[in-house]
Amino acid sequence: MGRTRSIGWALLPIVVTAAILVILPSIWFGDSPYTTSLAVQALVFAAYGVGFNLIFGSTNQLFLCVGALAGIGGYGAVILTDETSLPMAVGIVVGTASAAIVGGLLSWIAVRRSLGIIFTGIVTLVFSLAFANLLLGQREYTGSETGLVVTAAADDLADDQVGGYYLFAGLLVLFLIVFRALQLSHIGWAFRALRDDEVAAELAGVDVARYRIYAATLGSAMIGLTGALLAYSAGFISPTTYSFDRVDVRVLVLVAFGGLGTLLGPVIGAGVFAILDEQLSTSLELREVLYGVFVLAIFLFFRRGVVAAVVGLYDRLGGRRRRKPTLQPSGD
Amino acid sequence: MLEVARLAAGYLGESVIDGIDIEVRTGEAVAIIGSNGAGKTTLFRTIAGLLPAMEGRVVLDGKDLTRSPTHRISRAGIAYVPAERHLFPAMSLKSNLVLGAYPKRPDRATLELVYDLFPRLKERQRQQAGTLSGGEQQMLAVGRALMARPRLLMLDEPTTGLAPKIAQIAFEALEGLKSEGMTLLIAEQQVPLALSVADRGYVLENGHIRLSGTSEELDQNPEVRRAYLGVA
Amino acid sequence: MTAVVLDGIVLGLAFGLLGVGMTLVYGLGGVLNLAYGQMVVLAAIVVMLVMDDGVATILAAAVGVLAVAGVAVLLDLTLMRAVYREHGEERTLLGLLLTLGVAFVIAGLLTWRYPSGALYIYIGGDPVSILGVPMAVGSIWASVIALLVAAVLLLFFGLTTFGRGVRSIIQDETGARLVGINPSFVRTVIFALSGALAGIVAITQSMSGPLTVNAGFELTTFALIVTVVGGLGSVAGAFLAGVLLGVVNTLSAHYIGQYITTIILLGAAALTILIRPRGLLGR
Repeated sequence: MGRTRSIGWALLPIVVTAAILVILPSIWFGDSPYTTSLAVQALVFAAYGVGFNLIFGSTNQLFLCVGALAGIGGYGAVILTDETSLPMAVGIVVGTASAAIVGGLLSWIAVRRSLGIIFTGIVTLVFSLAFANLLLGQREYTGSETGLVVTAAADDLADDQVGGYYLFAGLLVLFLIVFRALQLSHIGWAFRALRDDEVAAELAGVDVARYRIYAATLGSAMIGLTGALLAYSAGFISPTTYSFDRVDVRVLVLVAFGGLGTLLGPVIGAGVFAILDEQLSTSLELREVLYGVFVLAIFLFFRRGVVAAVVGLYDRLGGRRRRKPTLQPSGD
Repeated sequence: MLEVARLAAGYLGESVIDGIDIEVRTGEAVAIIGSNGAGKTTLFRTIAGLLPAMEGRVVLDGKDLTRSPTHRISRAGIAYVPAERHLFPAMSLKSNLVLGAYPKRPDRATLELVYDLFPRLKERQRQQAGTLSGGEQQMLAVGRALMARPRLLMLDEPTTGLAPKIAQIAFEALEGLKSEGMTLLIAEQQVPLALSVADRGYVLENGHIRLSGTSEELDQNPEVRRAYLGVA
Repeated sequence: MTAVVLDGIVLGLAFGLLGVGMTLVYGLGGVLNLAYGQMVVLAAIVVMLVMDDGVATILAAAVGVLAVAGVAVLLDLTLMRAVYREHGEERTLLGLLLTLGVAFVIAGLLTWRYPSGALYIYIGGDPVSILGVPMAVGSIWASVIALLVAAVLLLFFGLTTFGRGVRSIIQDETGARLVGINPSFVRTVIFALSGALAGIVAITQSMSGPLTVNAGFELTTFALIVTVVGGLGSVAGAFLAGVLLGVVNTLSAHYIGQYITTIILLGAAALTILIRPRGLLGR
């Protein structure tokens, strides 16, 4: 059959993205550490976004604790390697695993107690804020507001060097491949089924609870891994690195912008917002206003993402019609 | 008083009822007869404004109520008592009745009237509506509708979940209301009961009006007898 | 210890009003107003500006409360229309996200324009002794106002026809429609009321200490916690939870520590959702 051919088509968007990412430094960065760090930040958020997409986009679990999960990865890894003298790789594994476990646990709790989207959101938000307070409170381990200098950091992977850029670019591509593989597998089918109609999916034999927990665990692992790598690459972390304001809000907005549940949504969203950040280096407060306006615009007019709206416009010009958009993602 | 013309309504783009023409004159009691799924509830919900009409008109004394929201229809004088009743469970029985008169202040005389009609309600007036029995809830639902001094009282399956004896009492109460001049529109599966109170009736089948006539005519009609009265 | 508890009650009364404002809007329409804390701050800034212009405190306070109530009406008539068009979880989700957007816009604008803005209504006078504890006059005023407002609300919801109508919508919206209540209109009025409550909280809070322009997010968090613990949609529950959590807050902050205190409060909300989702007095 055309198996190889269809795999090829499936991976095409990722291959194109990878290609763009590879040539980007040479055409855009111009050896500027500032631009490089901006690009790295975009990649980090895109990576967060893919994980978030897996949790919320694929299985409707509103996890408002992306920052906290990344923080568990980051702080977990760093505290371990700084206190003991274990190598960085161990720190990364432990950090990632911790985040995965916590994420899976949160999902398990939500499933066991049949929490709807709203209560899941509130519980994860509470966790997020509690974690932030924990970081601030445990001075000896976390350095509180002053932050932690990461002694085990690797210089050539630093986030303002091209090495760091390629590290995160590779990470993102890896995540995209995993996401795509899931999308096309029977697991992806199960996800779509449970998003469309949970009850019908159960009746069709989909163990909704199990798939939710799997998705949450994997997505949290992705987020934790990114957080851990970020810690080593940045060389310095503080509670603001992983705060709700800095991480969750931004991830939510840029994934929604690109299209919840879609493969490249996080990438496009992160890219657009990186460019916006560069163009509008105005005050932080005005940026907040802009965010707010974006949130309003996206959720009032572009529920399926700005990208989908643009594509939809194309389609409409060509005569095809789209279904009524709902907030709960139905991505593809 | 009430004129329904070419009414069509349904869910998710599919029409459940179509081409409905119904007339209710002042002081009449009209029954809508049909089996489960025939569309009786859909029809009533559309008249009451809980469901938007896809086609046709609903006119009350010359006033077009077709696209009006439910609260406006209620204030225009149509009181609808749905099968689910929709009472306020955490409020006392009396508070439920008092709210029936919204936005006006409850009229002492009307309240007494309701208590006369349903003495049980007066006994339990301080009880929370959610703790009442099925029969009492049904009485409360009707009483609440009456508090608004409606021009037309619509009842959807008033005997649902009621023991036969209570259903009998309920219909006797309706007889009483009718003799006081109240205009009634009743949807009912229990055809003998319905025809006993009604002056006229319509038979609804698969979303269309199959037959109409006086209650005597319908009672004698062989199709009706076969389908709904279990007579061979 | 009595002093700490009394301080807790003063704080709790403000928490209570905050919770009532938020729970009302949720109970009526399924919307969690994440911009609520920012509305309090907005009121505070308005009062601050008006007072700076030399207007008497009481008048300035009235202006602040009315201004926020007005903003609330504006929000309800514009953004909330889109939200109410949805149903169930879709509606709550959209309400959450849109009010979040509004929160950012208000927070950003206020912190940009008035970076060091704060409202402090100083009421002079010697401390009054309550139960043997010297309480600042400002705190006494704050408590009295809060209690008065609570009493008025109680009378309003318990005795007036409109108030009963509000309760009926929370219990069965279709039933309310059937008796002739217009839920849309009631929602707008209640949204305005919640705005007014936010304004009143701004006033009372600023009597105990300066209310800064950055306090928005924290206030929203407290309102959310109180609403959840009290039971979504229960006015009495929100008030009770507010007072309880206020006392817990000050006790914990005094004897344990600030960071743990916040965790405890957050934990209370999480625990409620996990163990008794209907909250203290919800259904």
